[in-house]
Amino acid sequence: MAVGVDADKKIKVQRSVGMILKEVFGPLLQILIYILICTVSLSLFVVLVALLLRGSREDIDLLQSTLIILPQVIVDGLVRGFLFATIALGYTMVYGVLEFINFAHGEIFMVGAFVVAGFAVGLASLGWLEGFPPLLFVLFAVLLGMAVSGLLAMATERLAYRPVRGAPRLVALISAIGASLFLQDFMRMIALATGLGFNVRVQTPDFGDPLQIAEIPIVGERLAVVSIDSRALIFIVSATIMLIGLNYLVNVTKLGKAIRAVAQDRPTASLMGINVNRIIALTFLIGGALGGAAGVLFGIRFGTINPYIGFLPGLKAFTAAVLGGIGNITGAMVGGIVLGFLEAFVASYLSLFTEGAFAGANYADIAAFSILIFILIFRPSGLLGEATTQKV
Amino acid sequence: MARTDTQPSNPEGFLNMLRAEAGRGMIPYLLVTAYALIVTTLLLIDPATSLRTDILFVLFLGVMLTLYKVPLAAGYKLVMAIALLGIAMPYFGTLNPFYMDVATQVGMFVVLALGLNIVVGMAGLLDLGYVAFYAVGAYLWAIFSTDQAANIIPRLADSFPLAPEWFFIFLFLGLIVGGFTGVLLGLPVLRLRGDYLAIVTLGFGEVIRVLATNLDRPVNITNGAQGIKSIGRPPLFFEPWVQALGVPLDRSQLYQLYFYFLVLVVVVVMIVVVYRLNNSRIGRAWASIREDETAAIAMGVPLVRMKLLAFAVGASFAGTMGVIFASKQLFINPPTFDLIRSINILAMVILGGMGSIPGAVLGATLVTLLNLQLLPRVARELSVLDVPSWLDPTQYQRMLFGMLLILMTVFRPEGLLPEDRRRQELHGQDESAMPDTLLESEQQQADVTEPDVDIQT
Amino acid sequence: MALLEAKNITKQFGGLVAVNDVTLTIEPGSIISVIGPNGAGKTTFFNVLTGIYKPDRGKIIFDGHPLVNLRPDQITARGICRTFQNIRLFHNMTVLENVLVGMHSRIRAPFWSIILRTPGMKHEEREAIERARHLLAFVNLDNKRDELAKNLPYGDQRRLEIARALGANPKMILLDEPTAGMNPHETASATKIIQNLRDDLGVTVVLIEHDMRVVMSISERISVIDYGTKIAEGGPEEIRANPHVIEAYLGKGAAESSKSAAPSHPPDPPAEVGRPDPELRSQ
Repeated sequence: MAVGVDADKKIKVQRSVGMILKEVFGPLLQILIYILICTVSLSLFVVLVALLLRGSREDIDLLQSTLIILPQVIVDGLVRGFLFATIALGYTMVYGVLEFINFAHGEIFMVGAFVVAGFAVGLASLGWLEGFPPLLFVLFAVLLGMAVSGLLAMATERLAYRPVRGAPRLVALISAIGASLFLQDFMRMIALATGLGFNVRVQTPDFGDPLQIAEIPIVGERLAVVSIDSRALIFIVSATIMLIGLNYLVNVTKLGKAIRAVAQDRPTASLMGINVNRIIALTFLIGGALGGAAGVLFGIRFGTINPYIGFLPGLKAFTAAVLGGIGNITGAMVGGIVLGFLEAFVASYLSLFTEGAFAGANYADIAAFSILIFILIFRPSGLLGEATTQKV
Repeated sequence: MARTDTQPSNPEGFLNMLRAEAGRGMIPYLLVTAYALIVTTLLLIDPATSLRTDILFVLFLGVMLTLYKVPLAAGYKLVMAIALLGIAMPYFGTLNPFYMDVATQVGMFVVLALGLNIVVGMAGLLDLGYVAFYAVGAYLWAIFSTDQAANIIPRLADSFPLAPEWFFIFLFLGLIVGGFTGVLLGLPVLRLRGDYLAIVTLGFGEVIRVLATNLDRPVNITNGAQGIKSIGRPPLFFEPWVQALGVPLDRSQLYQLYFYFLVLVVVVVMIVVVYRLNNSRIGRAWASIREDETAAIAMGVPLVRMKLLAFAVGASFAGTMGVIFASKQLFINPPTFDLIRSINILAMVILGGMGSIPGAVLGATLVTLLNLQLLPRVARELSVLDVPSWLDPTQYQRMLFGMLLILMTVFRPEGLLPEDRRRQELHGQDESAMPDTLLESEQQQADVTEPDVDIQT
Repeated sequence: MALLEAKNITKQFGGLVAVNDVTLTIEPGSIISVIGPNGAGKTTFFNVLTGIYKPDRGKIIFDGHPLVNLRPDQITARGICRTFQNIRLFHNMTVLENVLVGMHSRIRAPFWSIILRTPGMKHEEREAIERARHLLAFVNLDNKRDELAKNLPYGDQRRLEIARALGANPKMILLDEPTAGMNPHETASATKIIQNLRDDLGVTVVLIEHDMRVVMSISERISVIDYGTKIAEGGPEEIRANPHVIEAYLGKGAAESSKSAAPSHPPDPPAEVGRPDPELRSQ
């Protein structure tokens, strides 16, 4: 690294604050735009469908029901979106440097959720949980989760991935699947041995009542209450802060530059004096830490966890990464948001529109995979990815 | 797989010398026959389920491996295999149904491993949702051999459940529907790069399971999470003959024997099919795709068609086995077809050696024995020792197979019985006349030139 | 009638025009060389001809049939086969199997006949092995047919690529730097084989080559590509004297000085001198 650092210092051009701001907040702006697009287009779509189907139901006013749950669905979409985005980052960063799908990343996320559960149990046994300031609880839990998951991801890389790095893709992938399965049961063993049990309820300090944002009068005398659960709000805010931090890390710092260099061309990066092994390990650390933080927030938000919860969010986050263009960090965030919104809308409205014939929550998974397949077929480079040509 | 010519082993080490000694004349025949006889006799003397019988049973299956590994006349191997698997095993099975069931399950997983081996090992396409095709076959027979089908085709409600004779037709239907499902999934996704394929098939496996769980509404097709009970069995057409012969076997024993032989026949047929495919233009095309897709297509190998074929053949194996599975178990529900089963089958292929047919057989046998015998046995022994319940090893399949996959890929990626491309029947007769020393020096030469190649590419 | 007519072929990658409006006509039974500095677009041109890339513009007529929009395997079946600049053998298959894969488009046995192992299928397989061994003998590799391709020395690997390409029974073979990295002895033997391809097997040969001795000694016509554009075409003597070619290889000054010097000195540029080659980084 020495040569690279020295050379860098000499020719370092003082970058303007504006440029840094652009690199850190630019992706965030893009996310905001996609959030708006998703909200508006999906809302319009469901309202339109509701209008079309309005005559078919006698028991309830379809349009009214649609509008009443709409704000909640949007908040749900945001939470899911940020959840997928934070997990997807781990996939996309590792893919960027190694061209390898880290199957075990979903489990890294799951371990994060268990960290917060354990943390809460620890606090409770000391009798501190009740009076603990909620925000401080979140902060400590997130930091702890990031540390544990990040280190675990690094250990996985060292033990299961590095030994097979030169091998064909298929071999590395199989090793990753092995790591994923191993971690699931390893966590289960710990959970059972420590008395947490298989299904764990995450205790938290009292976060207070949902925040009421507005009351929108709809046809008749009913009011649609727009409220947001404070835990959902914490989720969104924390995720945003982490995304900003990551953008800073990757786009502004020297470490970020090294990561990008390794992602572009590993042999050349190593010739430039970058310690490739170290950068890859750090990439796993960062990706794992983000996954762990997402797990902690997930645990706080949803309350019940088990050692196998990492699988589905992991799979969907991967879908999000592909949707955004795998290897592209902003793409992973955008993909997560879009997928989260789509899923929230399918989960809430499918059963409403089909009179319960299709349970939306179950078919939301199928919707996510259909999206994955469609993207892979029609636009494998994703929303923000560049088309790659086959090299001969 | 006849390897009648005794290869002069490399004269290094005492073990090899012994092997060379044993390779002469009648001695190996006597040794193998004695081994088989002793194990079989001990097994039949006291067939009760116990640790001792477990070990003997494994040794009994080990005879098959010995037969494969030791260079002996093909005719002798065939006679021994028929005597052991066709007579000794079924007889032992009538004495102890548990081992019969284990043997049948081993056979079923052998077929599944052979099928997945085509996709993963031969064509190099990682399919993580293989069990979905198994589920399709199983649900196919389950739905049509029970009242379930009446919900789908109310007009023909009277004709369901179908008569047992339909079972044989459904064996072939399972083959076709399985293959068709494989093509259906393969068509859109086989253009994808390998690691995307893994994810999509993983998702597909989940989708099939979710569908099986949820397709009890709006029309009850799969009976949802409750699963389907009282699935039809194949007809016991030979029952009168057995009674006429005066063999005292009850119906459940007859069914056991029935499924055992059915599975055995399917195993033999599938091994022959895979072996022939592998040694043809199709097998070579698969191997070339696995090695280098771009070079393969430039040499005139139609990529998508060949991949689809691999997918379809693999899936059709699973489809057929699904039909047999459903009728053997009498009951299926969605959790039967979860991800861990796909992983189990993948572990069999990896353990045996990707692309290797004997490897798939060995892998399937080992993993099935591990699941059905070793783990429960260890659990039982542990429970005596007053070990906390969370340590029950039968509960940690994922950890075990996860570790197995990692250790195999890191330390022995070629598997236990690797594919032996250099000594195929195809060109086994004329050995390359090159002495070993020359071979070695060439190897070194290749090693020297390798960095050069790296820089060039 | 020309065997191959490539008209106005253009291929772009983003902003980079890799092949720009190249037209090339190849008569049957000829040996043609395509030369040019590294990164000039020669390999890209091959990739367009063999269907691995689709051209953005232009058309290709081979043996009276248009080739654009066919898949690579269909083009191979039509009679164009190739070797790769960076050897791409099937490393874990035997030498013989490599050639048999090359023959894939010529072996017809349907699925059912393979499963049933019909006499027809067995007969075809025997014949295929027979022919594969002939091809291996042609490149002096028959005695190594049961070795794994990855264990062959470098020169043998290059020759095996030629044998594999011949498996498809091509009318035309595209050789991408067939003597790259070879020592003089190996180069001489490879040159002989290339000559025999045409003389003995009647295959039309198109080669990309940097070794000017090889190019000048065996090609009947030479096309020079620089910056994706064809800058010259003609017989060896014409190309040797062409100032554009000298300029492309050695720069403007060299072109001017060579005009004053005796034109009989071939430019003979070393292969590794030239612009940084984007193709080198591929793969």
